[in-house]
Amino acid sequence: MPENPSNPTIPDRVTLFASCMVDQLAPAVGESTVDVLEHLGVTVDFLDDQTCCGQPAFNSGFRSEAFPVATRFIEIFEKVEGPIVVPSGSCAAMVRNFYGDLFRDDERMIGRARNVGDHLYELTEFISSFFGTDAVVGQLSDDATYHKCCHLLREIGIDEQPIEMLSNIDGLNLTPLERDDVCCGFGGAFSVKMPDISSAILDEKLDYIESTGAKTVVAADTGCVYQMQGGLRRRGSDVQVVHIAEILAMSIRNASGAGAKR
Amino acid sequence: MTDRAKFIASVTSSLGRSEVLSPSEEAADASTAVFENADTAKANADRAMSDASERSDTLTAQMAAMAATNGWKVHRAGNPEDAADLIASICEQKGAKSVLRSNHDVLSQIGVDSAVTNTGATLGVTEHDGENSEANIQDAKSAAFTADIGITGVDYAIAETGTVVLHPRSGLSRLVSLAPPTHIAVLRSGEVLDSLDELFAMERNDYLSGDLAGSMNLISGPSKTADIEGTTVTGIHGPLEVHLIILENG
Amino acid sequence: MKPQTINFRSKASQTMGDEEVQQAIEHVYTGFFKGRLVAAADTPDWEELRTKGKAIKDHTIAHLDYYLGLLADNVEKNGGSVFFAEDAEEARKHIIDLAHARNIKTVIKSKSMVSEEMALAESLNDEGIETVETDLGEYIIQLANETPYHLIAPAVHKSRKEVAELLDDDFKEGDRVPDATELTMMAREKLRGVFERADMSVTGVNFAVAESGSIALVTNEGNGRMSTTVPRVHVAVMGMEKIIPSIQDLSTMLRILIRSATGQRISTYVTMVNGARKPDEEEGPEEFHLVIMNNGRQKLLADPQMRESLNCIRCGACLNACPVYRKVGGHAYGWVYPGPIGAIVTPVMTGLKDASNLPAASSLCGACHDACPVKINIPRMLLELRYRSAEGSTDSAERTSSASERFVWKSWRIGMMGRKRFDYGAKLARLILRPLARNGWLRKSPPPISGWTSTRDFPLIAAGSLRSRLAKRRKKAKS
Repeated sequence: MPENPSNPTIPDRVTLFASCMVDQLAPAVGESTVDVLEHLGVTVDFLDDQTCCGQPAFNSGFRSEAFPVATRFIEIFEKVEGPIVVPSGSCAAMVRNFYGDLFRDDERMIGRARNVGDHLYELTEFISSFFGTDAVVGQLSDDATYHKCCHLLREIGIDEQPIEMLSNIDGLNLTPLERDDVCCGFGGAFSVKMPDISSAILDEKLDYIESTGAKTVVAADTGCVYQMQGGLRRRGSDVQVVHIAEILAMSIRNASGAGAKR
Repeated sequence: MTDRAKFIASVTSSLGRSEVLSPSEEAADASTAVFENADTAKANADRAMSDASERSDTLTAQMAAMAATNGWKVHRAGNPEDAADLIASICEQKGAKSVLRSNHDVLSQIGVDSAVTNTGATLGVTEHDGENSEANIQDAKSAAFTADIGITGVDYAIAETGTVVLHPRSGLSRLVSLAPPTHIAVLRSGEVLDSLDELFAMERNDYLSGDLAGSMNLISGPSKTADIEGTTVTGIHGPLEVHLIILENG
Repeated sequence: MKPQTINFRSKASQTMGDEEVQQAIEHVYTGFFKGRLVAAADTPDWEELRTKGKAIKDHTIAHLDYYLGLLADNVEKNGGSVFFAEDAEEARKHIIDLAHARNIKTVIKSKSMVSEEMALAESLNDEGIETVETDLGEYIIQLANETPYHLIAPAVHKSRKEVAELLDDDFKEGDRVPDATELTMMAREKLRGVFERADMSVTGVNFAVAESGSIALVTNEGNGRMSTTVPRVHVAVMGMEKIIPSIQDLSTMLRILIRSATGQRISTYVTMVNGARKPDEEEGPEEFHLVIMNNGRQKLLADPQMRESLNCIRCGACLNACPVYRKVGGHAYGWVYPGPIGAIVTPVMTGLKDASNLPAASSLCGACHDACPVKINIPRMLLELRYRSAEGSTDSAERTSSASERFVWKSWRIGMMGRKRFDYGAKLARLILRPLARNGWLRKSPPPISGWTSTRDFPLIAAGSLRSRLAKRRKKAKS
């Protein structure tokens, strides 16, 4: 578990771990992540060879398939000395909290995984720990609400910090979401293997979202973003779901005068 | 091998051992009290009792507040006569025809018998002629199941949880606090323990000194259930109404 | 109780389509779940208590053989009898034989999940011995001929009307439905006579205290007290893991059990039974029998990955927190224990082959782990069981993954093992799916993701990976 230093030396260079989903499905989230970090004065490196941390196969029980992919991840990222930042609580959790189980018969791999995990951070965790929740000041007029993604909340321990960060956006009207810490029903492959249960859980989440009157839902994990957006679209709703990196980047652009208002 | 030996042997092998290993005190963490010896247990119990006595007013007030939240009707009596009067007025209020009481000495102390019979109700004391005959046991049961009000003393109360604690006494004090629809419990000040920690310290000390009663009941309000649509209803099997009379200067 | 875990999907589907049951299940969240949060916030040392409770259970289970011996010795010292039952069949037979031997006419039952493993009430009734459940929720489902829906609220799925149909002899379709108080009073009336004439009781055990041979029962209704006072024979049944070492440990365990179960600071009644009545006591059962049951718990104990599940104190907090349980309901889990704890113990105790859907039915949200008073890491064990079902079990019958699933993950792995193939695979997928997409979204999709688009839109693979976009930026920055 990386340290959240109370008196941190502010890093000026990080390496981005995109996550497979952001890389191929939602690259705009990755670009926004870079934008936000650069705005904070941080240079962002990207290791071209990266693919995936192995979580999807691990969660489905296919550890023999997850093992080589996770090993490859370690091989690529253990060369990094500074912080590694990923815009996903579940990917951060996989590396920090579940690689121990995946590699459990291999002391050496556990050690290598721990070394990487010790300086790997989820995006909002990174910003709030090293820069503070008031570091990003932006502008965006909208009615929004925030959903607490499960792994970020329970595995990484980031709870109110993203809300505090969103509160710094001038013009953003944040309505608290009832049952904001109840799962959206994504759960990775679960959403595809048991779509009836996944959607039943989602329906309850979407009902609560609609009752806030918000036009935008903000969340910090792409899987959850798509689960909620996909469901809202299917019920004909105009509500947009965005990754927190995107809304922070938009608000920074607005504040600097560049980019359209939402 | 007896069934027991076979059973435990398979538990031992499931734990990856060939023999039962007694937990060593050093290896165990401090979380279980099982390694604390009788002297420690006695010291804990003594501390609980002296705390109950020294902080009697504070603990009584805390317990009374918690008990009221739990649904006890809490009454304060400045002296034994007031306590008896309170009991009499409850009997009248409930239109009680038959009242049963246990053999706790606080009840004779407050002279409850005449107070109750003066209301016109019959009063039975749950004690019998020393014979544990089937007939006596049945009679005692029927009396409890038909009584309107049951009155007991109390051994301790607990401030943390708003609870009264009953150990069985000579006489039948268990059903009398359970079967009638109204239960009146009389507590003497100075008997309120701070929390469950103190109560179980007392019990553990009783056990280690060979004095553990056959049972103990903690009562923290009227009987209740929420099994139908999550709606709380009082008085499902035990009393619907419970009164706690706190006898000050008892 | 015969496991019906194989019917999980269909039972789940049935429950999710039942609007009335969905509304009823809400109570576990609005009542119990919220109650626990309030109680925890109200308890200054709540986290320390959880840590302590976990330590007490870890220690007990690690020395379970020793503590079983200690418990049995002390129960016998108190004048009680102990019967060790390998399985439900043995336990049931012992209790039935005992009832016959003691000429028992009426048995009252207090809540016990272990007795459900034995289907005890049903068996005793079949033997001609009147056996009545006395916990109101259990009584209701006994009348309905059903199994419990929840660990502590067995009839949580029943509407008031359904309860009226079961409890109220005069109720007809179209009548005003009696309110909860009226129905409860009807139950009180009906059960009072049963209490009075009962000659044997069977109760569960919330905690068995090894050092003194005592058992503790936690109830709100008073049926636990009736059961331990009125009849001449008291039988307590327990899973072999329900032991704690010391009387003093009860203060910690009772606090975390009760506050986690309902949010109460304490249940209305806590009864401690130290054997049958003492010679100088005039009230209470003449005989005390403790039945300690294995019934597959040994498999959990012998399994280092799964052993932690034996720390469970059966509070139900994980059920109340679980978004899956609150949709699929208790019966879908197909055996005695529903919810997250059921999803991990049922497959091991009754067979993973037929129960693989139970650990699969989870979004791994971790709410159960958060809620557990003894901090059982349920998600870790769900993942372990998934691993065994997919490929990891040494028993080939338990490896139930399909060939197509194995193929999917093999292909996935191949696709992730190099950047070029990763990009190429994405481009290919985009090519294939693009005709199905409108404005970057798919309403229909092929396997293996077709399940998604049955209820949600799915995003199209992006045009250009993040890698390519960042490469373009770098190029631009240089020029």
